Amino acid sequence: MLNSLSLILARVFLKMHLRDRQAMIFSMFFPVLFMLALGFSSGDQDPIELGVVNAAQGELADRFIGALGDNTLFNITEGSEEVLRSALIEGDAKIVLILPAAFQDIESASELRLLVDMAQMRQLGMILPVFEKALVAVERELRDTEPIFSLKVEDVKARAQGYIDFLLPGLLAFTLMTISISGSGFNLVEYRRKGILKRLFVTPVQPRDFIMGLMLARLVLCVVQLSILLGIAVFFLGATVAGNIASLYFVIVLGSVVFLSLGFCLGSIAKTQQAIMAIGNLFIFPQMFLSGIFFPIDSLPELVQPLANVLPLSFVANALREISNNGLSLLEILPQLAGVAVWFAIGFLMATRLFIWKEVAN
Amino acid sequence: MIEIRNLSKKYPRPENKAEMFFAVDGLSLDVEAGQIFGILGPNGAGKTTTLEMLEGLTDIDGGEAYIDGINVQEQPFAIKQIIGVQLQANEYFDKLSLAELLNLFCALYHSPAKPADLLGKVNLADKARARPAELSGGQKQRFSIACALANKPRVLFLDEPTTGLDPQAKHNLWALARDLNSSGITIVLTTHNMDEAESLCGRIAIMDHGKIIAEDTPASLIQKHAPEAPVAPLHGNMEDVFLALTGTTLRD
Repeated sequence: MLNSLSLILARVFLKMHLRDRQAMIFSMFFPVLFMLALGFSSGDQDPIELGVVNAAQGELADRFIGALGDNTLFNITEGSEEVLRSALIEGDAKIVLILPAAFQDIESASELRLLVDMAQMRQLGMILPVFEKALVAVERELRDTEPIFSLKVEDVKARAQGYIDFLLPGLLAFTLMTISISGSGFNLVEYRRKGILKRLFVTPVQPRDFIMGLMLARLVLCVVQLSILLGIAVFFLGATVAGNIASLYFVIVLGSVVFLSLGFCLGSIAKTQQAIMAIGNLFIFPQMFLSGIFFPIDSLPELVQPLANVLPLSFVANALREISNNGLSLLEILPQLAGVAVWFAIGFLMATRLFIWKEVAN
Repeated sequence: MIEIRNLSKKYPRPENKAEMFFAVDGLSLDVEAGQIFGILGPNGAGKTTTLEMLEGLTDIDGGEAYIDGINVQEQPFAIKQIIGVQLQANEYFDKLSLAELLNLFCALYHSPAKPADLLGKVNLADKARARPAELSGGQKQRFSIACALANKPRVLFLDEPTTGLDPQAKHNLWALARDLNSSGITIVLTTHNMDEAESLCGRIAIMDHGKIIAEDTPASLIQKHAPEAPVAPLHGNMEDVFLALTGTTLRD
């Protein structure tokens, strides 16, 4: 399939793309910015904004608030119920605790009220148990009783992994998808619009040489761009790659080929610049949110999980993540690789069906 | 050199997609080797469609066409090897220089031609390092012709080569066409410019509604359809004025 003409074409395309500095920089801009923004955060959770209404104004209440304030999980703001209520509504406070006037004596039980915004149910589900545990700890401290046990958390993976480590393979996969799709699909439509495809069609060049040349050039560029991204993550942000780097690149190359051929399908369907923008976004955006790039697929509603799991980006992102985070070998990620292979077959078959030289050129 | 027999092309009507109409309707034509052959006609007469069928860009719906004895429909790749094409849209990859683009075209044809020679032929030798976007209209057309010469074609198709050019560039392009023609290349061109038809083309076909309505040498056509001698002009026309004032030196 690779002959001298497709190699010549690949070299020409590569030269062209390398000269298009603006496009190179812009295609890297978002992923790099994103990685820097998220990578520089320490990985610690931000403290939970806790509003406290101190209606008791007694010594016990002060000790209680002091003990709660020692817990780094919470950032305490004291104020009137009215003020904190509106802070809650505006999202400046996550929960508001009200200590009643009767909260004076350690021996008599009193009811604390907690104001929450039920619209934030998802977050509350995580905050409330933590908060309740903190209250119990404060009570023990005030009553001076020893807990009968303590819990020590150990990470079985036994290596420090921050959000950047989770994010890196996803971001690699996402960047790989966007530059591949725009590299094949968007370019194809642009060449058609300018009449370049038509001009090439009246020369004896075979469509497969043209496609191979374009894909090869894009593949090289994609690997270079992802290497830059990987380099920034590892050398500047301290991300770690647990698995074999060659395996990682194998998946990167495979994934690029999949999205390049899918991009050719999109570019063959879309006849205008507007159409490719719309079709491209239709392809890119759902995958951006459903393919476990920024958060795991398990956290999606159960109804969409089966769909999310079979998206091409999910397979690529999962494969990269298993290698990068969990150090698995290619043999251990055969299911993901099989998924990638199926999408490659789909993309390749559709591209050869849809990319009819004469029709795409006209 | 070119034989066209009963060539037809159907398209759906733009205003009513269900209805078909013949853009080219049973067209027959012979172009002898070594000619500059002009195809004239109003917009929509079928000139470009005819060229595109000969170039293999558009499927032939009826009839057949041969270039140098090769059936256009049956051996499109053999046809592409012997024809040079200049299309109406003449945009190229804009990040490459003219020399690099010509190198690419030579590679596509596996042709040993040298970009510098091709640029020299169309008077663009000093623009080897320029990008297509930096060229003027006339230079762009000449560059298009340079690309079309990459495979040393036997037939050159020019689709409205002088549309939009200033008089200097137009005359320069005519000179180039005569030059190439005298080196043995058969040229088929479409045009809206009657001077071009009269002074450049050895034979002319006039098309309307997908059919040829007249075909002959310019002189015979004039004899037949406009025989009255015009009143001897007392003066030249506006183009003469323009050229007298601005000279015939090429401006780009």
